[in-house]
Amino acid sequence: MKFVKAILFIAITAGLVYVLDKPWAPAPALGPFLSPFCGLWQNSEEVIDPKTRITLPLDSLRDEVTIRFDDSGVPHIFAKNDFDLFYAQGYITAQDRLWQMDLQTRAAAGRLSEILGPATLTLDQQSRRLGMGYGAEANLKVAMTDPRSREALLGYTAGVNAFIRQLAPKDYPIEFKLLGYKPEPWKPINTMYMLEQMTLTLAGRSNELAMTNALKKYGKETIAQLFPDYPMLQESPIIPSGTAWDFPKLPIPKAVPPMVPGDSNLLSSKSLTALPPRAPKEEGIGSNNWAVGAEKSITGYPILANDPHLELSLPSIWYQVQLHSPDMNVYGVSLPGIPSVIIGFNERVAWGVTNVDADVFDLYKIKFKNEYRNFYWHDNQWKPTHKREEIIYVKGQLKPYREQIIYTHHGPVTESDGTFGQLTNLAIKWIGHEPGNSFITFYELNKAKTYDDYRKALTHYVGPAQNFVFADNEKNIAITVNGKIPLKYKEQGKFVLDGSSPADDWHGWIPAEQNPFVKNPPRGFVSSANQSSADTTYPYYINWSFAPSERGIRINERLQAMTNANADSLRMLQNDNFSVLARTLLPRLLSILETRSLTPKQKAAHILLSNWNYQNSPESIAASIFETWFPLLGQTIWNDEFSSLEAPMEYPSRDRTLYLILKQPNEKWFDNVNTPEKEALPDVVYQSFNASLDTLTKRKGAMSPEWQWSKVKDAEIRHLSRSIKPFNAPPLVTGGGSSIVNAMTKRKGPSWRMVVELGPTPRAYGIYPGGQSGNPGSPYYLNLLKKWEKGELNELIFLTSPDQKVPHLASTLVLQKR
Amino acid sequence: MNFLIIAILSALLQIFAPWWVIAIVPVVVLLWRPSRSSGAFWSGFGGIAVPWLLYGYYQHFISDGALSDRVAKIFMLPNGILLLLVTGLIGGLVGGFSGLAGYWVRQLFRKHPAPLLGPAA
Repeated sequence: MKFVKAILFIAITAGLVYVLDKPWAPAPALGPFLSPFCGLWQNSEEVIDPKTRITLPLDSLRDEVTIRFDDSGVPHIFAKNDFDLFYAQGYITAQDRLWQMDLQTRAAAGRLSEILGPATLTLDQQSRRLGMGYGAEANLKVAMTDPRSREALLGYTAGVNAFIRQLAPKDYPIEFKLLGYKPEPWKPINTMYMLEQMTLTLAGRSNELAMTNALKKYGKETIAQLFPDYPMLQESPIIPSGTAWDFPKLPIPKAVPPMVPGDSNLLSSKSLTALPPRAPKEEGIGSNNWAVGAEKSITGYPILANDPHLELSLPSIWYQVQLHSPDMNVYGVSLPGIPSVIIGFNERVAWGVTNVDADVFDLYKIKFKNEYRNFYWHDNQWKPTHKREEIIYVKGQLKPYREQIIYTHHGPVTESDGTFGQLTNLAIKWIGHEPGNSFITFYELNKAKTYDDYRKALTHYVGPAQNFVFADNEKNIAITVNGKIPLKYKEQGKFVLDGSSPADDWHGWIPAEQNPFVKNPPRGFVSSANQSSADTTYPYYINWSFAPSERGIRINERLQAMTNANADSLRMLQNDNFSVLARTLLPRLLSILETRSLTPKQKAAHILLSNWNYQNSPESIAASIFETWFPLLGQTIWNDEFSSLEAPMEYPSRDRTLYLILKQPNEKWFDNVNTPEKEALPDVVYQSFNASLDTLTKRKGAMSPEWQWSKVKDAEIRHLSRSIKPFNAPPLVTGGGSSIVNAMTKRKGPSWRMVVELGPTPRAYGIYPGGQSGNPGSPYYLNLLKKWEKGELNELIFLTSPDQKVPHLASTLVLQKR
Repeated sequence: MNFLIIAILSALLQIFAPWWVIAIVPVVVLLWRPSRSSGAFWSGFGGIAVPWLLYGYYQHFISDGALSDRVAKIFMLPNGILLLLVTGLIGGLVGGFSGLAGYWVRQLFRKHPAPLLGPAA
């Protein structure tokens, strides 16, 4: 009896331990997770006493490093050499953002499935097929040959690993505990993966398959009319019209007419089909930057502003830091995983970036000898392909997933147009594969003292091409459309290219000094908002389509009018909610509506729209109606002719649609080909107006304060996992929208807002929606969110020495050589 | 008294031992020291649960519940305090059964049944 009881209770105890020690998906093992000695409770952090001073002896440091924190959680790093400087940057960034660094590296490298299981296999396959690993390896080789990037990479790596090494399981970030895995040592190639990821986000899109499908259906003439290579209605190019191109122009490669499916050099005449789509060109990812010259500024010195637009997340994609060494003193935002400051300022200069969106992602149709794909036709001969094996380990599966990726001289053959059975036959040529050392650009910008330093720094940059805005305290302002941009014939890459013809290869690059740029223009300001790099006088082809022009137009109107500007004037422009789109289009739409008799509900909406001041403010109901109406208007016009499940086509652009409505009201495109009646513009306007009210009513009920723009837009900032909802930010009240200077959409928006007043000492302001710490248990997780939401900026603390007595400074951390 | 021994010993050991040491300490203590069977369960339960509740509450308090409230929601609980109670309950159960295991194994080695009342009638 006693024996039975003893066995029983031993068994129960052992059973409990067993059950609690195992993860039961999706929950982690509850025993270690719930124990306050090693589980989630350990990740609770308190506000650190500002007088705290901690000294840490660490391996591999060459000398002592002092880090001062301010009360926003920003580290100000003072080191005596480059290795230690980037070591400390690595250490501190890992301390705050280790899981983010781990996750983003895995995403880029196609290694998510190791920790997240089969659910992420498709994502990982895409990363492998895109050749992210291939690009990272090529870039790492180059980075290790330059002593500056080599030192930075090795230092940063040593710092990150020094942090990881001193972690016990109870210290792991909460996400590691929830997902049941541990941090792995950091390698220099991880930095290259982060750079690849940036390139993918900003220059990893293509719509040539959709364009080629449209070409096949409608033919050359219609495509030329509907998809022009420069906006037809309105544009305010980045490099102002009238800027002279003072350089000897290189000969343009010979133009080749696009292949249309059905030509003899194709394997079949079946219609092109789309693949698991690479995300099409999306609005929302882009940015604004500008600088006003000394004459427009009340300080007598230039003022510069930048707000990059990205998908917002917690933690933020950016990490604020100050880096100080004997020959560098720079403050700005960095990308966790990459040494240096990406956007920021130092004692003499300031700079920022927006995406150019050059066409640096092309698809080439490959003619293979046979289905083994060992040879492909190019330049009138069969050339061998080479293979690269990609192995993806999947959590919960014993055998990894393996795939042989076929490479041609263009790049990996991992897209398909459906004409080669189940096999892929389109190769990807992508700037991400081009080896280079873009890190040196940021490194030299961090140290730059003059305009010439800025121009020299830019020459190292490969991609993704960015509009680098610049201002210095010698009162220069400038902007350069910068990167390695292929020298192409006009429209090369607008459609699928012929992989067998050398005439369609990339023919070298635009020389760096011939990239469009302007210095101290007569108009007294420079700016960019992802619109056309230059007008049609620029001799080289960069792309046929850029972001819609409304943000650029608005920014330039306001800067033109600005006098006696100060930092706050620029801050207000960053928060500008004015809709140029509404100003352009709405009067015409309303006058068309007035020709019909409207129901009471429609009349109410009409009145609101008529009285609207075109401000997308958070409380505006008119903004909600217009923002719902405009996309439906476009769909009503184009869906019947351009939507297709088997052969998806690109839709004409916003500018083209506006031009059609305002200048070509009698075109056939307004007719819905799927109905026997002949519709015209007024029908389209009325139908889409009705549809917009129906959509809003379905979502939010009858018109009420629930229709306010902020509530309809329903902006959110998600935790990086996109699935742990309790880690998301609380609900936000925001205005703005896509194609508005305050470019806040549902999930994308100003991920960093910065304004820098140049001068004998710089005065800078900045903020992002989140906090320095990636730990939801830290007081620095979203301490900056409220201020960002209100459109305010923090004063950025720029130190010249670690012992400065300045308000807002808090604790000290000294890293000592062991 | 057993409760105190278990509480102090387990708290010290958990600083560097894996979490399941909470299943070992009560067994050992109840193997070594006399107790009633009900006492074995509750001293095991309390000896683990009370340090867990105290330490967990401390961490919840100093961080204003920032993490505990959020993680609670992941587990469909409304707040961090409830999560803390669940934590204490789970730890306590392991401790309690472990205590009982120790008690009954100790009984196996006793020649006479443990007295339930005072001096033999």
